[in-house]
Amino acid sequence: MPEFSSSVKLKYVKLGYQYLVNHFLSFLLIPIMAIVAVELLRMGPEEILNVWNSLQFDLVQVLCSSFFVIFISTVYFMSKPRTIYLVDYSCYKPPVTCRVPFATFMEHSRLILKDKPKSVEFQMRILERSGLGEETCLPPAIHYIPPTPTMDAARSEAQMVIFEAMDDLFKKTGLKPKDVDILIVNCSLFSPTPSLSAMVINKYKLRSNIKSFNLSGMGCSAGLISVDLARDLLQVHPNSNAIIVSTEIITPNYYQGNERAMLLPNCLFRMGAAAIHMSNRRSDRWRAKYKLSHLVRTHRGADDKSFYCVYEQEDKEGHVGINLSKDLMAIAGEALKANITTIGPLVLPASEQLLFLTSLIGRKIFNPKWKPYIPDFKLAFEHFCIHAGGRAVIDELQKNLQLSGEHVEASRMTLHRFGNTSSSSLWYELSYIESKGRMRRGDRVWQIAFGSGFKCNSAVWKCNRTIKTPKDGPWSDCIDRYPVFIPEVVKL
Amino acid sequence: MSCQKTRAVFSCSTVLLYIPQQSLLHFHAFLITPLSNSNKNTIMDLLVMLLSLLVSYLIFKIWKRIDSKRDQNCYILDYQCHKPSDDRMVNTQFSGDIILRNKHLRLNEYKFLLKAIVSSGIGEQTYAPRLFFEGREQRPTLQDGLSEMEEFYIDTIEKVLKRNKISPSEIDILVVNVSMLNSTPSLSARIINHYKMREDIKVFNLTAMGCSASVISIDIVKNIFKTYKNKLALVVTSESLSPNWYSGNNRSMILANCLFRSGGCAVLLTNKRSLSRRAMFKLRCLVRTHHGARDDSFNACVQKEDELGHIGVHLDKTLPKAATRAFIDNLKVITPKILPVTELLRFMLCLLLKKLRSSPSKGSTNVTQAAPKAGVKAGINFKTGIDHFCIHTGGKAVIDAIGYSLDLNEYDLEPARMTLHRFGNTSASSLWYVLGYMEAKKRLKRGDRVFMISFGAGFKCNSCVWEVVRDLNVGEAVGNVWNHCINQYPPKSILNPFFEKYGWIHEEEDPDTFKMPEGFM
Repeated sequence: MPEFSSSVKLKYVKLGYQYLVNHFLSFLLIPIMAIVAVELLRMGPEEILNVWNSLQFDLVQVLCSSFFVIFISTVYFMSKPRTIYLVDYSCYKPPVTCRVPFATFMEHSRLILKDKPKSVEFQMRILERSGLGEETCLPPAIHYIPPTPTMDAARSEAQMVIFEAMDDLFKKTGLKPKDVDILIVNCSLFSPTPSLSAMVINKYKLRSNIKSFNLSGMGCSAGLISVDLARDLLQVHPNSNAIIVSTEIITPNYYQGNERAMLLPNCLFRMGAAAIHMSNRRSDRWRAKYKLSHLVRTHRGADDKSFYCVYEQEDKEGHVGINLSKDLMAIAGEALKANITTIGPLVLPASEQLLFLTSLIGRKIFNPKWKPYIPDFKLAFEHFCIHAGGRAVIDELQKNLQLSGEHVEASRMTLHRFGNTSSSSLWYELSYIESKGRMRRGDRVWQIAFGSGFKCNSAVWKCNRTIKTPKDGPWSDCIDRYPVFIPEVVKL
Repeated sequence: MSCQKTRAVFSCSTVLLYIPQQSLLHFHAFLITPLSNSNKNTIMDLLVMLLSLLVSYLIFKIWKRIDSKRDQNCYILDYQCHKPSDDRMVNTQFSGDIILRNKHLRLNEYKFLLKAIVSSGIGEQTYAPRLFFEGREQRPTLQDGLSEMEEFYIDTIEKVLKRNKISPSEIDILVVNVSMLNSTPSLSARIINHYKMREDIKVFNLTAMGCSASVISIDIVKNIFKTYKNKLALVVTSESLSPNWYSGNNRSMILANCLFRSGGCAVLLTNKRSLSRRAMFKLRCLVRTHHGARDDSFNACVQKEDELGHIGVHLDKTLPKAATRAFIDNLKVITPKILPVTELLRFMLCLLLKKLRSSPSKGSTNVTQAAPKAGVKAGINFKTGIDHFCIHTGGKAVIDAIGYSLDLNEYDLEPARMTLHRFGNTSASSLWYVLGYMEAKKRLKRGDRVFMISFGAGFKCNSCVWEVVRDLNVGEAVGNVWNHCINQYPPKSILNPFFEKYGWIHEEEDPDTFKMPEGFM
C-alpha cells in the first residue's frame, strides 16, 4: 500500500514539474497581468479616460509603428524555411495469389534444400519465432521450385509493385503525371540499366526536364534518405511536386545456398512498395496529411563492427546472399543512441531536456555511478513507427525507449501482415495507425529506420488534419481483425 | 511549438509597442522644431519619414538577397582522375585475345568486334580490370567488382584530400555514382568506413544512371549547397567493369564488351566563401533532359538477358537517333542560358529569313528537326559563349557527331579525341579526363567557360557549364593524370597500328573452311 501511494504521489509530482517547465513563459505572464490589473482597478474609470485622451496619437507615429510591425513580421516569415508537406501516400497491396503461408514456405524449403535437413530445420525455427503471419507475399518468380530469378522476372516484379502503387497515388491525390517535378526511386538490391526511375518516367510519360534520382544500396533506411533528398530539393525549387517510390525487389536476391546466416533474410523479407507525394506548394496546406518537422540521419560506417554487420558476400559455393551478424541488436541500439542524441534536443519538451542535462552534469561532475536518465519520448510523440525489421528489433527498441505495447502495435502488426518489406514498411505502419482512426490533427509521429552500413535515420511528422479511416488501402479488408496476439513461438 | 510562439509574441510586442514609440517621439520633436506652420509641416514630416523608411526597407531586402546568394555558388576545389597501374594496360592485340576466349563467338562476330576495336579511336594504353588478365572475365565473383572499386577510390580520394590538406572528417556531403555495381553495404558506406568519416554526413549512392551520372551527382550537390552554408562535398564517380562481361553472342550486346575501359574520378566541391579563392571552377548552369517518356528512346539501351540467359547491355540500332533527339532538346534549354544575347538574336534572324525564303513549303522548325544519318547542324555559333568543350568520350562516332552539330574544329575536339585514345570510354568519369587534358595543355585561363555534355541510358542528356575561376596554367597541377605523357599528345596519327595486321578481316571468308592465319594468336 505505501509503495502504491508513494508512486502515485511521484506521478503527480512529475506531472506538476512538467507543466511548470513547459509553460514557463505563460506562468511569467501571470504576475505581469496581475500587476497591470491591480493598477487599472486602482486608477478608476475617469482617470483611465483622462490618460487615454492625453495620449497624442500622431499620424506619423501610428504609421511608423504599423510599418515597423509589418516590416518585422515580413522579415520573420521570409526567413523561415519552406514547409514541406506530405500530401498523401499509397502502399502496394499484393494479390492473394502471391500469398506465402507457413505451410507453403516450409514445403518449398524442404523441396529445394532436400539434402540439407539441418538448414530446413533452421528455417523452420526462424519462421516460428519471426512474428510473421500467414498472409505475407512473395513475388511470383519465387513460387517456382526452384525459384527462377531471371532479370525479366525481376523487372516484371518491379513493374507490378511500383506501377500499382503509383496508379493508386495518382488517383488519390489527383496529381497529373505532367506535374511531377522531382522523382526519387529507391530500391536497395536491384538496379537494372536503364534505372527504375527511367522505367517510371517511361510508363507515365513524365516531363523531359524532370529531376530524377535512383538511389540504391542504402538498405532499409533508404525511404527516409529519399525524403531527405526530396526535402533539400523542395527547399530550392518553389512550387514543386516530388514523388518518392520506396521498394525492395525480392526476385534477384533470394538466397539459393544453404549457409545459415544467409538464409535468414529469405524468411523475413517480403514483397511491398510505397509511393509518396510531397510538395511545398501553399495550395496543398489544407489537404496535406502531414508536415515534415525534422529529419536526422546518422551513419556509423566509421566503426568497423557496425560496417560489417549487414554484409553481402558469396558463400563457399558461389551463391550470393546477405550475411547478418549476431551483434545486430547491439549495433542497432548504439546507432539509435547516436541518433537520439541529435534528435532529442529538437523534439523533447524543456522539462525532459532539463532533467537529462542535470543527470548528465551529475554523472560527469558528482558521481559517475548515477543511472543515466532516459528521456521519456512518449511526451514528445503520440505515435511511433519503428521499421519492422524483425521481432527482435521491435522488442529491443521497445525496451530501450520504454514504450508500451500500444505504441509498437503498428510495427508488430505490419510485420505480421506484410512481413519485412524493407524501406516501405514505415508507410504500411503509418497506414495502420490511420486505418485504426487514431491520427488526429497535431499528433506527432516518429519514424525510425535502420539500414546496412550501419545507418539510423529518423523523421518526425506532424499531422496536419484529422484523418478519417480510409476506405481503401492495404489494411482496408483486414483492419478489423487487428490487433492480433502474436505468440512467442508458433508451433509448426 | 507553442512555447516558441509565446516567446516570439512576447518579445515582439515589447519591442514594437515601447521602443519605436519613444524613439519616434524624439525624432519627431527634433524634426518639427525648425519649421513653423504646423499643418504643412506634419505632411512634410510624414512624407520624409515614409520615404526614409521605405528606402531603408528596400536596402535591407536587397542586401539580404545578395547575402543569401553569395554562399550558394558551387565551386570545384580540386579533382583527381584515376590512372590504374601499368600492369593493367591492354592493347589491341590483347583485346583480340580476350575476345577469342569467348567460345560462343563465331567468325562473323570476331570480324565485327575486331573491326569495331580497330576503328574505335581507342589507343594502345587503355586499362582493364584485373580479372581480365587472369582469364576469369566470364566467371566474376562479387569480390572482383569490389576490389576493382577499392583500388580506384583508395588511390584517388587519398590524393585529392592530401593535396588540399582536408581531412576526411571535414566532408559534409558524399555522392557516389557507379552505374553497374550494387552491393550491400553500398559503395558510399565502404568509403565512409575506410576513411572514418563523420556520423552526420549526408550520403547518397546513385546507380544505373548511365554515363551521364556525374552531372547528376553535381546536380544533387548544387541543390544541397543552396540550402546549407559552408559545406564541403565529395563526388566519387566511376564504372565497374568486372561483373559485367557479356559471355553470349548476341550482336547488339557484344559491342559493349569492347568499348568500356577502367577509370574514375573524385571531385571535391564546396560553397565556402573562404575557399572560393583557391577554387578552380564555378558552376554557371546545369540542365538535365530525360527522354524516358518516349518508348524508342527508353529501349535504345537496355540491360537484359539474351536467348541463352546471359545478361548483357543491348544497344539498339536507334541509339544514335535517340541520342540526337535528346541532345537537341538539351541544347534548346541550355543555349539561351549561356550564349550572349547578340548571338541569339542573330540566330533568330537567320531562322526567320530561312522561313520566309522557304515559305511555299510548309516546313516548321526545320533546323531543329533530327536528320539522323547526316547529323544536324545547329546553325548557331557556340564559340561566342563557350571556350572549351568537354564531350563525353562515348566513341569516335559520338565525338564526330557532336563536333558536326556544334560546328567545332579539330582544336576543340582534340581533348575528347585524345582522351578516347589514351584512356578509352571510362563512362561517367570521361568528362573529367577531358578536363584534365585541357588543364595539362594549359588551355584554361581565368574567365574561360567550359561546356560539359554527356549521355546516359534511359535516354538522358545532361550538360553543364563551368567558369574558370583562376588561371590554371601556372604548372601546379601536380596530380594531373596526364602529366606523364602530355608532351606526346597530340600524336601524329591515331590510326590503330593493327589496322594493317588485321586487314585480312576485310576479306570474305567461308566460315566453314576458315583457319586462323599464322601469327594471329
